[in-house]
Amino acid sequence: MLEGLVSQESFMDMSVLERLKWVQQQQQQLQQVVSQSSNNSPGLFQILQFHGSNNDELLQSTFSHVQMLGSGFGPNYNMGFGSQHEAMDGCISRTSSCHMESVDAMGFMLKNNEENRVIALKNKRKQEVKTSEEEKAEKKIKVEIETESSMKGKSNMSITEASSDTSKETSKGASENQKLDYIHVRARRGQATDRHSLAERARREKISKKMKYLQDIVPGCNKVTGKAGMLDEIINYVQCLQRQVEFLSMKLAVLNPELEINMEDVSVKQFQAYFTNLPVVGASKQSIMVDVPLFPLDQQGSLDLSAINPNQTTSIEAPSASWEAQSQNLYNTSSFGFQY
Amino acid sequence: MASANKTINTDVPAKDIFALHFLQSLSNLRIQNPLNSPEETTDRVKKIKMAAYISMARAAGGTNRLWSRALLRRASKENNKINRFSRRKRKVTWQISSERRGRRSSNRRAPVVEEVAERLRNFVPGGGGMETSKLMEETAHYIKCLSMQVKVMQCLVDGLSPK
Repeated sequence: MLEGLVSQESFMDMSVLERLKWVQQQQQQLQQVVSQSSNNSPGLFQILQFHGSNNDELLQSTFSHVQMLGSGFGPNYNMGFGSQHEAMDGCISRTSSCHMESVDAMGFMLKNNEENRVIALKNKRKQEVKTSEEEKAEKKIKVEIETESSMKGKSNMSITEASSDTSKETSKGASENQKLDYIHVRARRGQATDRHSLAERARREKISKKMKYLQDIVPGCNKVTGKAGMLDEIINYVQCLQRQVEFLSMKLAVLNPELEINMEDVSVKQFQAYFTNLPVVGASKQSIMVDVPLFPLDQQGSLDLSAINPNQTTSIEAPSASWEAQSQNLYNTSSFGFQY
Repeated sequence: MASANKTINTDVPAKDIFALHFLQSLSNLRIQNPLNSPEETTDRVKKIKMAAYISMARAAGGTNRLWSRALLRRASKENNKINRFSRRKRKVTWQISSERRGRRSSNRRAPVVEEVAERLRNFVPGGGGMETSKLMEETAHYIKCLSMQVKVMQCLVDGLSPK
């Protein structure tokens, strides 16, 4: 156990470094964006400097959070947003070489994965809150730059240029920017006969509507503004979920052979107890409230397996009747065609 | 092309169904490999992971969803089983959308969104053949199903972990 603690401490340092690296990467990306646009407005540079000064605050906030969480969870606390993968990888490599004892520690880590993610995102919010206004302004400028520069490949300064075509295009670009806030499609001046752009407008609104829907699903997306950042969050989340599945399947593989013998002894009702305590929507909720003190789930942070009493699960009601029948089939039949 | 106000439907079946499918596939696995020797843990891990994904795909609505279809197709390819699905001309769709993109000017498709959508396509199965708006829907459903599957597996592991 001691060596486990030591390795976990070095692990924490790594995650702090990872977080710093991530912040620096963000800064570099910002700088790239600024350099790509040929706009030399001083506001953007100020934003960069503001970001740079945030580093120390980040460090302090992370350390304070680590102390907050205490010794048991501290080393497991994932501060890096991109470093969650490294954390999981590190844990996975450790599980593959260690014995069963470490699996419990991993279980702890896994249970706190959701917590950690929430806390990590809260941390991010702390930082983001300060820079959110600047970012909004910056992203607006960025969008303007993109639309206008992509129109004719010219910079912001080209608004004042003389050609009638560019003025039409840039006015179109400006009107497009304003219309980003509205849902309905409207033909503006210079766009009346342009069906392509109208269709494009409608399509973009559909996409933004769906992005908002995604935002509701993925936790922690609310505070990140801008499509790119949100999509990054979503990708991160999908990756996390996939790694969790992999991790859990590994855990199951470890547990499985040992329980090979026990599987036949396990009664149907015991298994029902495992799953009916999931927050199932519907009529069976009342039975869940009864069973909760018997079988606390990972949401409560600790699992008291000694409290399992399978004989008390007879309070399962009608909604799971078909479930009961099906799970009985599972255990009674010996020949199941293996269907992929 | 007025935008139709259809509500996005990403309903996911209850956890029982996920659990059922997963247990089914697990028991199938166990029956297939009665030896269960400790030799190849990694193989077993892969099989369990595969079983998890496939049971999730089946629980989530079989062939109704693009991502589940792609998952099942991928799995059946690995097993050299007969493809039971009706072939959709996915590749053609993809080429059309990229053609359209090339023909018109590049600004037409909000390059920021498209670039990130590319990355998303790599993670969501079957993402190669979808347009961005469809991709979003599929991603939402996929995320819901994945989180459900994770919860089921977590409960199973917690229940089975010893003493």
